[in-house]
Amino acid sequence: MSVKGGYFFRILEVDLTSGTSSVRSFDDEFALKYIGGRGFGARILADHLKARKNIDPLGPENILIIAPGPLTGVYLPASGKNSFITVSPATGIYGDSSIGGVFGVELRQAGYDAVVLKGRAPILSALSIQDDRVKVLPVPKASGTTALQGESLVRETIGDEDMKIACIGPAGENTVVYACVNTDWSRNAGRIGIGAVMGSKNLKAVAVRGSKDLPVHDLAGLMEVSREGYDFLRSQELFKFWQDQGLMSVVDYANKMGILPTRNFQATVYDKADRMNGYVMEDRYKIGDSACFGCSMSCGNVCLVKEGKYRGTVTEGPEYESAAMLGSNLGSSNFSYILKANALCDELGVDTISTGSIVGAVIEGQEKGYLTAEDLDGALIGWGDEDAILSLINKIAMREGVGDTLAGGAKAIIKRWPDMARVTNHVKGLEQSAYDARAAISMALGFGTSDIGAHHTRAWTVATELENGTGWGLEEKADFVIYHQTVRPLFDMLGVCRLPWIELGFPEEYYQRFYRAVTGVDLTIEGLFERSSHIYDLTRAINVRLGISRKDDYPSQRSFEDPVPSGPTAGKVIDREEYEKILGMYYEKRGWDQDGKPALTL
Amino acid sequence: MHLTVIPERCSGCKVCELACSVGRENANNPKKSRMRVMVLYPHPVIRMPIVCKQCGVPKCGEGCPTNAIYKENGVVRLDQEKCISCNQCLTSCPFGAMFLHEDIEHPFKCDLCSGDPLCVQACPKEALKFHPKHILGQAHRLSAARSYAKMSKVEYMDDGQKKTLRYAKITKGGRDER
Repeated sequence: MSVKGGYFFRILEVDLTSGTSSVRSFDDEFALKYIGGRGFGARILADHLKARKNIDPLGPENILIIAPGPLTGVYLPASGKNSFITVSPATGIYGDSSIGGVFGVELRQAGYDAVVLKGRAPILSALSIQDDRVKVLPVPKASGTTALQGESLVRETIGDEDMKIACIGPAGENTVVYACVNTDWSRNAGRIGIGAVMGSKNLKAVAVRGSKDLPVHDLAGLMEVSREGYDFLRSQELFKFWQDQGLMSVVDYANKMGILPTRNFQATVYDKADRMNGYVMEDRYKIGDSACFGCSMSCGNVCLVKEGKYRGTVTEGPEYESAAMLGSNLGSSNFSYILKANALCDELGVDTISTGSIVGAVIEGQEKGYLTAEDLDGALIGWGDEDAILSLINKIAMREGVGDTLAGGAKAIIKRWPDMARVTNHVKGLEQSAYDARAAISMALGFGTSDIGAHHTRAWTVATELENGTGWGLEEKADFVIYHQTVRPLFDMLGVCRLPWIELGFPEEYYQRFYRAVTGVDLTIEGLFERSSHIYDLTRAINVRLGISRKDDYPSQRSFEDPVPSGPTAGKVIDREEYEKILGMYYEKRGWDQDGKPALTL
Repeated sequence: MHLTVIPERCSGCKVCELACSVGRENANNPKKSRMRVMVLYPHPVIRMPIVCKQCGVPKCGEGCPTNAIYKENGVVRLDQEKCISCNQCLTSCPFGAMFLHEDIEHPFKCDLCSGDPLCVQACPKEALKFHPKHILGQAHRLSAARSYAKMSKVEYMDDGQKKTLRYAKITKGGRDER
């Protein structure tokens, strides 16, 4: 099988220590096996780790890979995705996070299938890529700037308005382990601390502008499938509603189902959810739509606070995760404050999910007596105490006072205050995203076995289990988790968004047709799933190499200990024996041993 | 006919750029498109496709040393025979609606796709419209009339539903308020 399109066959390697760069090639076999995005990232990272026993995620020996996929930027629905891959400073293991927007498209148009960043720049710098012109520029003036200020400054320094820029805020420079990297105003590769890795490399920003045609094997054939695809999406009943509310529509849904994180995941139903839902956003705050590249669904909402103390706050967002983690999870339904907190996190460059989770743990920990006023620099903080929350977020980003410990994430918090393990909801050191899993063991398994920690992107099974899974046995649930962990990472390999599939029922077969038109490779969808399944084994092999085993594959302590207090999921809690059983089944189905070790090695 | 841009509806998805570059240059390359979606934030917040307005007095042609820019049937065109690629038109156009790409010999611009613009067909937000010229301004005229502040109103029942009819009352002896 030979590859006829989809790739430039060029990987840019930049040594930040010396400021030099080079381009290396790869062969058809590599393209076929790893496809792109997180597939390329995992392979490159595995190769890098082969010769090492251990790695300091924030040391110059760590590498950061930026990888769009072969479909990124191609004329088909929602093709704007790009992945960042590295060893996470939050978890110490494999990590990736993806963004939409247009950044990945520019990178591809500059003629690269991936960029590998190594070493550490001597002073704060920006990487500038304009097609073949690659430069590492010192930008000492950008020190301490917000992500947006940094972006403007870098754009001015380079003198090219077209540059698309991925930039970190002060939190990244201060290596907060859940610092993110920001592009296109408010799109963040939020999770696992990509921003901290950039900060540790003295890399403030990556700026890209490309002019090349994307290699598409059969453009006419592609256009036929694409037109059909766009028509399919437009004809869906929820299409217009999705354009209007995007992910904010999930607030009502999660509350109705009893899975909305409320006061640090203590409760799963929030009595004031209707004050912070998609309708409130749409009616009182929304001033514009925003879409990633090539996407007709435009789920982004530009929101402005028009009155009150946060008047003038404007941002693209919040999305469901941010609204839930900074809103109900912290005991506030004030949408103006939620927007403010979201914008603040974006400016400082911290992940809204981890930040909301950690601030929630602090409030509950203090309530339960695990933390004293002294621990918190004398400043007590209550549910919905907006000023105190915003101030704590600032302290985290700046590593001031208690913020210095909190900036180290779940692991650092539990290390300093062991009791906090009971209220810090995380897996492998990554804080749990905004779905309570106690009523759906498949979701708990999804969090437990996600290769980056407690994030829902790999397996968002909670809705299906609660709606349709009443008759399911553990076997079906384990299968369903593996199915999700196979389909969803494929999107990150191809460089497209999963939302058309999960939200509007866009059939999987389209991706096989897109892939064939672009690359000329005729694979069945099952063939593509084999590739993504292989990557799941590979990221597991990386994690095993970095110390992960069965002991790390459990959901948060709360999932086993505290039954849901009220609402439709009242009384639900994960049964430990049952979890052991489903975990064992899961390993067996994956072909891993009972300690979670795959046959595959690096 | 006129290609109208409605920035309030634009999401910045760039599907128009894709449709243009694939349809006109047979290339999946937004940089070869005859339009460019500008996305500005946070001050001001705007998403706006920039595309030729087919001006009555094409400023792009004013500095052209070879008179290569001309107007034909309402479309401003570039005569490639005459063009010397000095790129003067790039900066002469007050909207920046003339484009360059290193693979393409001459500057290029929108020519309304022989009367059925691909970008308009592809836009998922109806932010691009292709209208007869007399449509321009209609929406504003309509909304100015509809929102006239001093209208009287009458409430009435229609099929069990309460409705309101608004009207501007004609006064005797001409208009008494200015």
